[in-house]
Amino acid sequence: MSGLQVIGYLAVGFFVVVVAAKIIKIARMPIHIRWDLYPIPHEKGKGAYGGSYFEEIDWWTKPSNFSLISELRAMALEILFVQSLYHHNRSLWYFSFPFHFGLYCLVGFIALLFIGGIMEAAGVAVAAGSGSGFGSLIYYLTLVLGAVGWVLGILGAVGLFFSRLFGNELRKASVRSDYFNLLILLAVLVMGMIAWATADTGYAYLRGFVQSMVTFEPMAPLPTAVVVQLWLFVALLFYFPFTHMTHMFGKYFTYHQVRWEDHPNIRGGKIEKAVIEALGYKLTWAAPHIKKGTWAEAATDWEKHANE
Amino acid sequence: MSNKDVTIRDFCRHTGQLVELDPSNFLPLPPPYDKLELQPKFGKLSEANQKKLESDLDGISAFKFPRPQTDDEKRVLVEKFLSGLRKLFDKQENWTFMQPLFLTMEYCAKCQTCATACPIYNESGKLDIYRPTFRSDILRRLYKKYVKTGGKFFAKLSGNDIDASWTMIARLMELSYRCTVCRRCAQSCPIGVDNGLVTRELRKIFSQEMGITIEPLHAKGSMNQLRTGSSTGMSKAPFLDNVEFLEEEVEERTGRKFKWPMDKAGADILLIHNAGEFLAWPENPEAFAIILEAAGINYTLSSDLCAYDGVNYGVWYDDIQFSKVALQHAEVAKRLGVKKIVIGECGHAHKALTVIADRVFTGDYNIPRESSMTLLRDIVKSGRLKLDASRNDDMTTTLHDPCNLVRLMGIVEPQREVLRAVSNHFREMEPHGVNNYCCGGGSGFAITKDLNFPDFRNQISARTKLRQILDVYQDIIGPEHKKYVCAPCSNCKGAMRDMFTAYGLFERCNILYGGLVELVVNAMVDIDKPFIEWEWH
Repeated sequence: MSGLQVIGYLAVGFFVVVVAAKIIKIARMPIHIRWDLYPIPHEKGKGAYGGSYFEEIDWWTKPSNFSLISELRAMALEILFVQSLYHHNRSLWYFSFPFHFGLYCLVGFIALLFIGGIMEAAGVAVAAGSGSGFGSLIYYLTLVLGAVGWVLGILGAVGLFFSRLFGNELRKASVRSDYFNLLILLAVLVMGMIAWATADTGYAYLRGFVQSMVTFEPMAPLPTAVVVQLWLFVALLFYFPFTHMTHMFGKYFTYHQVRWEDHPNIRGGKIEKAVIEALGYKLTWAAPHIKKGTWAEAATDWEKHANE
Repeated sequence: MSNKDVTIRDFCRHTGQLVELDPSNFLPLPPPYDKLELQPKFGKLSEANQKKLESDLDGISAFKFPRPQTDDEKRVLVEKFLSGLRKLFDKQENWTFMQPLFLTMEYCAKCQTCATACPIYNESGKLDIYRPTFRSDILRRLYKKYVKTGGKFFAKLSGNDIDASWTMIARLMELSYRCTVCRRCAQSCPIGVDNGLVTRELRKIFSQEMGITIEPLHAKGSMNQLRTGSSTGMSKAPFLDNVEFLEEEVEERTGRKFKWPMDKAGADILLIHNAGEFLAWPENPEAFAIILEAAGINYTLSSDLCAYDGVNYGVWYDDIQFSKVALQHAEVAKRLGVKKIVIGECGHAHKALTVIADRVFTGDYNIPRESSMTLLRDIVKSGRLKLDASRNDDMTTTLHDPCNLVRLMGIVEPQREVLRAVSNHFREMEPHGVNNYCCGGGSGFAITKDLNFPDFRNQISARTKLRQILDVYQDIIGPEHKKYVCAPCSNCKGAMRDMFTAYGLFERCNILYGGLVELVVNAMVDIDKPFIEWEWH
């Protein structure tokens, strides 16, 4: 087994573990105070203008107005087309949208490489005009997603980099790591495109590498460009979990656990149970107006004030 | 150093006042305020106050915090700040907001989309210190360095290294009161990062750990409310006297004589107003009383501690103060055995009691809470009042959306349905609804009236609202046309009162502001005299 394979396993394992640990950490944080922000798209019939169930008289007696379809639609528009940026920061959207869409294509491209690798391990050829129609389909889909991904990703990353470098407001807000994040992504993308264009036009080498990883077999010799591409990708996997680029996972929480989280606290319900637990937490805030003890004790420290 | 090119490094190291506010750099206003000489002057702190008070951010002192005299004092303050910072990221100490804050610290891409949405940043002429990410980035760097494991090492590596010094913390303290927490920035953020929350969490460090607060919010605000019953300082007896006086005034103005229900056990509704209404805008609780009486609603007011004042300033700066006041409100409702609490025309009271307190109330305290906007819409639509919108035909109305009602609660249409039913000449400001702009008085700004802070409010934080009002009435801006800005929120009205005064908006343009219920009563056909008195109070 080559060094690249070993480091490849380590990188994937590291990426999965660190990202999962972060997701678990966030998911396990205690219930927080409601901090909704409207519009909330799942409000049936009201989401479009930003209305909520609070608009209804005796809202707590009315059936839930949750529209999953509206929420999924809003999610799809946001994830695929970065809709909020389109509305609020159009000049950046022109680069951010192709950048993100390009990355989605490349995630799909990697998935197809895996599928292709497994198929080839199973003896099904993945190539143009292969006997298997499915093999051909995977082959061409990989080509399309790869090409679109490299082109859009590079265009977007270059645009974002120069926007940050020359855009007055962006430049002022940026530090070294912001440029480095874009540069490492750009390096992976550019190298990927170079490897494809110069040494691996049908992705046979990459697919072969993935196959070797999936089957734990030794890898075949690879062209230098593909080797460099893989080393850069491995480096990205080690670096990525420590950056804000994991917002692809964090965004679930910022939207579903904060902005769109409008479940009311019902007596005897799950939320109430979590609130009761939190009110039992100890606090040690040092200001003189705060009674030390549990949150419940501090929050009912009225007598002291009333008698002052 | 130019005002516009202030970096975080300058913020941390530069000595003396960092930024000089110059009205000639603020965004120009529409006519008739397109001439600088028609705009109010921007006051400077006296030399004595500059020497005495921390004001090195922008020459404004919201906190009136005395400059520490010795290095030892500074060191203690820095240690306290860092202690509070660590508590913000502790599950037990800050369960209330730890998750949203953590997400905001971790995921900002610094795309500056929030800056396009921030009225304060834009109106100031894009001063860097007011950029929504500026204060967040400072907190983020401190969090990464002083809270995260290995932070000091990685801070140097990433180019984000800043030291916690009193110079920086004193500026950060003031900077936490240059944002109205309107959360337009959060609404525009593609990732869901919330720079408004950062403002609030910063204020919590100062209040909850360091005991440093803004006097109108804390000593004269929530502490006063918990002690006397109201942030106005009005205790039970004066409140009851006040209500008696208002009953007589209603009789004089409308010929209707009736007692306002008080402390009535078993009523359907406990109505809680912002107590400021009784003193500054008594026509508002009067109009509520007239409407509810005419509609036959079984409700009560309360004269118990805190329950005749719906304000809850803790919502802006302190979780514990917030919880204390909210629980007092619920305690009274529980004792009276009402079916629900209805909140009068006060935006932050709406959000505090309905949304925020939802994760504080348990068991019997969890009594349903509802907006007066929906109740009013229900009454108006039910036909229980005889209304004639033409009685408001002498004025052109527009609606100011309080942030707490719209963007933070999703109550958008009820107030519009009421307004359309009582006004034939209603026009919308742009943008409106959930995309509205803050009145400029949010998060405590409206009640902060010391030194030169009102100049910041009137000329920067309220500037976009002023612009919107001027824009919506631009074709009838002259004094010959009566124009009414309906602002169903005491806090927003407070900000407008000061802003209208500073610019002479009533005298120059004949624009008046007021609540929603006043327009409803003005449209009631069985009340002879106009209820709205077209004069400046």
